[in-house]
Amino acid sequence: MFDVNEFILKRAKELGFGDVVVLSYETNRRQVRFANNEITVAKNWHERKIELFVEKEKRVASTTITDLSNENIERILKTLLSNIRGMSPKEDYYGIAEGPFEYKDIPETFDRAIVELDEPNEYVERAINAALEEGAKRVAGVLYTDHNKLYLTTSNGVEAFDEGTGIEISVRAFIGDLESGHGTNSVRVLKKFDPESAGRKAGEIARLARNPEQGPEGKFDVIFDPLAFANLLSYMSFMTSAYAAEAGFSFLVNKLGQKVAADGVTIKDIGNLPNGYGTRKFDDEGVPTRETTIIENGTFRTFLLNTSLARKYGTETTANAGLVMPHAWNIVLEPGDYSKEELFSEVKKGIYITNVWYTRFQNYVAGDFSTIPRDGIFLVENGELKPIRNIRVSDNLQRILENIVALGKELYHIHWWEVNTPVSTPYVLVKDVGITRATK
Amino acid sequence: MHELVEFAVEKALELGADYAEARFEEKNGTELVMKNGNAEGLGILADRGIGIRVLVDGGMGFASTNVLTKESVAEAVKKAVKLAKAASKVRNEPIRFSEEDFHEVYYEVKMRKDFRDIPPEEKLELLKKVEEEVKGTGVNVPMRFLRYSDWMWHKIIAHSDGGFVESYIPRVSLTYNLVVFENGQMEQAPFVQRAFSGGLELLEKDEPWKWAVKDVMALKRLIYEGQKPPEGKVDLVISPEVAGIAVHESVGHPYEADRIFGREAAQAGESFVKPDMLGERIGSDVVTVIEDPTIPNSWGFYLYDDEGVKARPRYLIRNGIINEFLTNREYAYKLGQRSNASARAINYNREPIVRMANTYLAPGDHSFEELIEDIKLGVYMVSFNEWNIDDRRYQQRYIGREAYLIENGEIKHPVRRPILEITTRALWSSVDAVGKEVEFYPGTCGKGEPGQGVPVWMGGAHARLRDIPLRRP
Repeated sequence: MFDVNEFILKRAKELGFGDVVVLSYETNRRQVRFANNEITVAKNWHERKIELFVEKEKRVASTTITDLSNENIERILKTLLSNIRGMSPKEDYYGIAEGPFEYKDIPETFDRAIVELDEPNEYVERAINAALEEGAKRVAGVLYTDHNKLYLTTSNGVEAFDEGTGIEISVRAFIGDLESGHGTNSVRVLKKFDPESAGRKAGEIARLARNPEQGPEGKFDVIFDPLAFANLLSYMSFMTSAYAAEAGFSFLVNKLGQKVAADGVTIKDIGNLPNGYGTRKFDDEGVPTRETTIIENGTFRTFLLNTSLARKYGTETTANAGLVMPHAWNIVLEPGDYSKEELFSEVKKGIYITNVWYTRFQNYVAGDFSTIPRDGIFLVENGELKPIRNIRVSDNLQRILENIVALGKELYHIHWWEVNTPVSTPYVLVKDVGITRATK
Repeated sequence: MHELVEFAVEKALELGADYAEARFEEKNGTELVMKNGNAEGLGILADRGIGIRVLVDGGMGFASTNVLTKESVAEAVKKAVKLAKAASKVRNEPIRFSEEDFHEVYYEVKMRKDFRDIPPEEKLELLKKVEEEVKGTGVNVPMRFLRYSDWMWHKIIAHSDGGFVESYIPRVSLTYNLVVFENGQMEQAPFVQRAFSGGLELLEKDEPWKWAVKDVMALKRLIYEGQKPPEGKVDLVISPEVAGIAVHESVGHPYEADRIFGREAAQAGESFVKPDMLGERIGSDVVTVIEDPTIPNSWGFYLYDDEGVKARPRYLIRNGIINEFLTNREYAYKLGQRSNASARAINYNREPIVRMANTYLAPGDHSFEELIEDIKLGVYMVSFNEWNIDDRRYQQRYIGREAYLIENGEIKHPVRRPILEITTRALWSSVDAVGKEVEFYPGTCGKGEPGQGVPVWMGGAHARLRDIPLRRP
């Protein structure tokens, strides 16, 4: 694809564009969806596309090109040129990174065995069977295999290539209408793939959740399963982007250097995380990805930035471009020192939430939100679990971070339909979480 | 392109498919963003490709490609057939489709002001107009995110059962997020959208800047005059906007047949509704909920679904009784019915699944004044921010953004964040009167994996709910 990239760059420069970024993707994605213990559909996507960003006198434009013929590329470049001329300049645009850069291979991001995998259905069957063995009656979910090639060429001397693979499964197990559990497993190399663990966890939670009673409301100490806390952190990851803050979608607005979480809470974005589902060698400007501490021991240290936003705020890029909007690669909540058993024994009377979905904000800048526990929910009383149902977490994101009192010592890497940005998180204990429920 | 679509269907049948459908889709459009007065840039949308879905021995396979050559399409067909064969081995029951009448049709939505002829700087003027009008209020709005988008959506769909549908549907939309900061307090109107299927004239006639100004003024008033809402059992009048989100979440979604049968269980969830609940009472007599893709210029508009079935209004609830589910051919077959044309895909690289289009609470016979005149203590919820519902679509919550106290039949001061947290059955059973006028509000409905955000309208008439347990934050 580099030949196409170079052709686009050359023609764009000839037409008088300033900054140009050409990011080409060649992707092979396979999906197997299943429900009621059987496959509902199997899919395959083969895609070649180019994301193009151009700038001329602070006027910026972007597009995606899927028809890669020279004629179409010419046509699109000329369309961009004629359209951009009449546009207002983006006054706070400050350019893209100066390359070239050197890139290191990141361990456990590519595995030929995934590329050559002919038939993934056996993994689906293994996950379903593991859930059924735990007592589930109905099992649903999705399996993906991924093979991606990325070619980046910029007008600032970057020419970079990355190739990655992945395989992941998300499994939800049901016993009755109200008893369910969920498990996931997302990895980049085949030998680490463990679909049974996802199926077993889903089945086990469903079994424990049998015959739930209506849950209480009030303030409770809550143990968030990694699946549940990953959802909150995935929503939060959007708010760590400087772009989201400027647009009024972040509770972190005007809080640089301030305490926004409990002392023991450190949250990072790690773009070069080995075996991370969002890991890449470089960002969309070609800057090598790295580790960025967003919240350090409770203090908010930085928004995620690209070069233009970094220059606007007089600092360095965090290697999170997104040309328009910086975004996180893999969010990591640093673990604590509690074993799972110790964490549960901390709770005399509280609630264990295994999963949440439908997180929605009343006010992004304030951080007020609610989210709905789904799958097994349990009252925790002196180490005993009692299944409950029909409650809602209604609280504030910053208050949740400030009220973290214990963190498990093991990290779980979560990525699924409801956790768009991959998150690594331990079990988390939060005190005084607002719990509500419908009373009619 | 017609030839390539037909080639894909023929090729699939040749390779052993029992059913094949090929869908070419092309989207061309423009996106403009303005953030705090800064033009953030221009996005050009130009995407096209073909998706092929097949049934082989009762297994379903899907593949897509954006390389539009015979070789590439043949390769995608081969993959779809191979995947379907393999999937059929992990099925207890073969997938079958309902019998339908098919047509060869062409339709398009005409634009009086064709956005393809208008340069982006002129479209940017719409966003500048919102900026100016919001600033003209004198209210402090430090964060302003505005987005304009348009696209022409061209589809050609061929089915081995005989359907052939070609359509051109233009769509225009303007979205805003406004943060009002006054008197040391902050309120927000996030992701408010105005959107239509048709030309630019629809957006211009709608005057989205007036909606933005209305929001800003309401939030300012809320900051200065807002008081605590009443708590405990009161009467509640919900606006067409709030009625819209409520019918979408608690009627439209749980009546989707693929959910009812568990196909979406791992993602969008299942449903409290079961097949044998057809004919069961779920709301009061005055509650009728209609789902209608055919409303002219609606955001969720279409005349034929992606399985080639002709669309019609669907009465999900008729006078409080569960009347009809949303179905595609697969689930219509399971129910022993005909499909009611709810199969939609957001792009060529997605499978058609059961979706809503335009869902609304049908009008009743009350004027707005009649709805509130005998309320001693209540709340009028005009718009909402936070909302969510469980994955069986039974326990839901809507929080008012703009809301007012009703006292002795009169609208009084604004109230802050009244919370309606209620079950679906209680919600629709509590409605004792419905207004005469219907309004619609656009939204993007999420479902499917990978996600398919489809354009929908939600709305209806005002509704009065009696004896509702209202909460405060």
